[in-house]
Amino acid sequence: MFDLLIQGFVAVLSPQIFILMVAGVAVGIVFGAVPGLTAVMAIALCLPMTYGLGPAAGISLLIALFVGATSGGLISAILLKIPGTPSSIATTFDGGPMMEKGEGAKALGVGIVFSFLGTIASVAALAFIAPSLAKVALSFGPHEYFAIAVFSLTLIATLSSGSMAKGIFAGVLGFAVSTVGIAPVDATTRFTFGQVELNAGFSILTVLVGMFAVAEIIKVAETSRNPVTGAPPMLVKIKGFGFTMAEFVGQIPNAIRSALIGIGIGILPGIGAGTSNIIAYIAAKKRSKTPEQFGKGTIEGVVASETANNAGIGGAMIPLLTLGIPGDAVTAIMLGGLMIHGIQPGPMLFITQAPLVYTIFAALIVSAFLMLLLEFWGLRIFIRLLAIPKHILLPVILVLCAVGAFGLASRVFDIWTILAFGVLGFAFVKAGIPTAPFIIGFILGPMAETSFRRGLQLSRGDYMGFLTNPISGSFLALAVLSILWQTYSEFRASQRAAGAGLLKLGGED
Amino acid sequence: MRLKDVIVGGAMTAAGILYLRMGNALPEKEGVDAATVPGILAWMMIALGLIELVGALRRPEVAGEASEATGATAGLLTVGLTLALIAGFIAALRPLGFPIATALYLFLQFLVLTPRSSRTPVPLYAGLALASAALIFVTFRYGFDLLLPAGPLVAWLN
Repeated sequence: MFDLLIQGFVAVLSPQIFILMVAGVAVGIVFGAVPGLTAVMAIALCLPMTYGLGPAAGISLLIALFVGATSGGLISAILLKIPGTPSSIATTFDGGPMMEKGEGAKALGVGIVFSFLGTIASVAALAFIAPSLAKVALSFGPHEYFAIAVFSLTLIATLSSGSMAKGIFAGVLGFAVSTVGIAPVDATTRFTFGQVELNAGFSILTVLVGMFAVAEIIKVAETSRNPVTGAPPMLVKIKGFGFTMAEFVGQIPNAIRSALIGIGIGILPGIGAGTSNIIAYIAAKKRSKTPEQFGKGTIEGVVASETANNAGIGGAMIPLLTLGIPGDAVTAIMLGGLMIHGIQPGPMLFITQAPLVYTIFAALIVSAFLMLLLEFWGLRIFIRLLAIPKHILLPVILVLCAVGAFGLASRVFDIWTILAFGVLGFAFVKAGIPTAPFIIGFILGPMAETSFRRGLQLSRGDYMGFLTNPISGSFLALAVLSILWQTYSEFRASQRAAGAGLLKLGGED
Repeated sequence: MRLKDVIVGGAMTAAGILYLRMGNALPEKEGVDAATVPGILAWMMIALGLIELVGALRRPEVAGEASEATGATAGLLTVGLTLALIAGFIAALRPLGFPIATALYLFLQFLVLTPRSSRTPVPLYAGLALASAALIFVTFRYGFDLLLPAGPLVAWLN
């Protein structure tokens, strides 16, 4: 195994592949950092460039783009409070407030280092435990996936700061929006109003960009004409990555837990880093000694989100390489990239093309180091973004979002969609309805519905099939417990507030 | 009673009712069909909307809410202008092409968003708008082969 790994390193450290990887990580970081441009787009746009390259060079370039783009999302999540990719949604929860407190550099440093550690942890998992983990995931059927989706949806309540009803409503509405298009199983067309563009439903990119980026621009517009108050953000000098060794050591348990969540969720096809960062954030908040600091700017939140999303890289590669099942949209394109180069992922890959498999592992490790170096070097440049006035920066970002939406299918319709979701996102802000549950509902909705209907078909219309299956039954029991616990917590909080004469209102900070 | 929360609760309930009506219009099949999940979701939305509505009606009004609302309306003009500019930019993409529509949108959006206390550097904004539009178009059109609409400039740019 180590001989093969050394061969892999020799291959990726050859001048041609190494230069390609440096460029790939840099381009990936830019795509991840700019809201509207995603890892999927970076890989899709660069895929044709790999046609003329050999398999090792082509795949290494795609992996470099994947690693760079997954990590790059943290930059805009922290500096602009707009997640560059779905995998950085939870990074905005604490990264944004840290930036507002003048700790933007520290948040970026924490995000970069723990993104790197998350990637390395996931590569270790990929290399050592891939086959056995993949077998477990393969044994999951629709009953299990439905139960996992329901359990994940119940965690929405945890994200609902203030009014639980509003938070759950946001999740349900996200689920409802995901029902637009052709229904699973029977292919009935739903809620398309005769628009063929809606047959495939809404893309996660347009929903995310609209709800976060466009809504943020509209929000800034509301107050932008007001006279500027307070001092502009200071470009302070930073030492190293901006945090102390004690802070780093203190975050190790949080990072290990988040990496395990990221890897575990990354393995399950269809869920991916868009969900794992939020689940890791929730887990970190629940386990924290200072949960009240979450959402106000604590490094714990940034560590959880960034470790988990990058840990998803290796996690998603496990079913891709061992079973040929893509875990998310990015790995689906990676699968296409592998097949273009004549590589058929599956259990036989480890036997017939073992050197190439280890070249992929080596490319992941080298990409992680390149990401660390390029982002460390770029840290000073990213901080300079703070000096650009928002009334200049945000319109340019809106144009980039429009380009990203247009690039999905070369349709102006998708740009109208981001505007529509932007208005909805702004309405959410004004109504005090949290946005994150909406995204979770939108991501998990199709999986929940498809698995529900397929599960019922398998158990011939018997709903008990979901309860009698041990894994599915356990997750559904956990979901019920989660709802009961949240209801109890909300009831206790309201009693305390009433006792103290306070009135706590719904809303997202 | 808090008026804002009553409106929000009412809107949540109305959204649920609308979704239920749309779901009911779907073709029915035996057993679990395409309308089943939307139906469940719609009833959940209605129930959550009603919970929010009842909660809002029972809550006392907070002093100063009305004055807050008056202050908030001041920014609505800028929001309206921004939405109109974005809509205009999208509508102009095909007829005017990406470079011209983008340059115009950016220039006007910079003007609309500039804080009242700052002076408006019109030539700088014009230069920034043109340079940004050109840079983005060239990067994506020639760097990534993304066929952004070129509009009347198609003969020169393709």
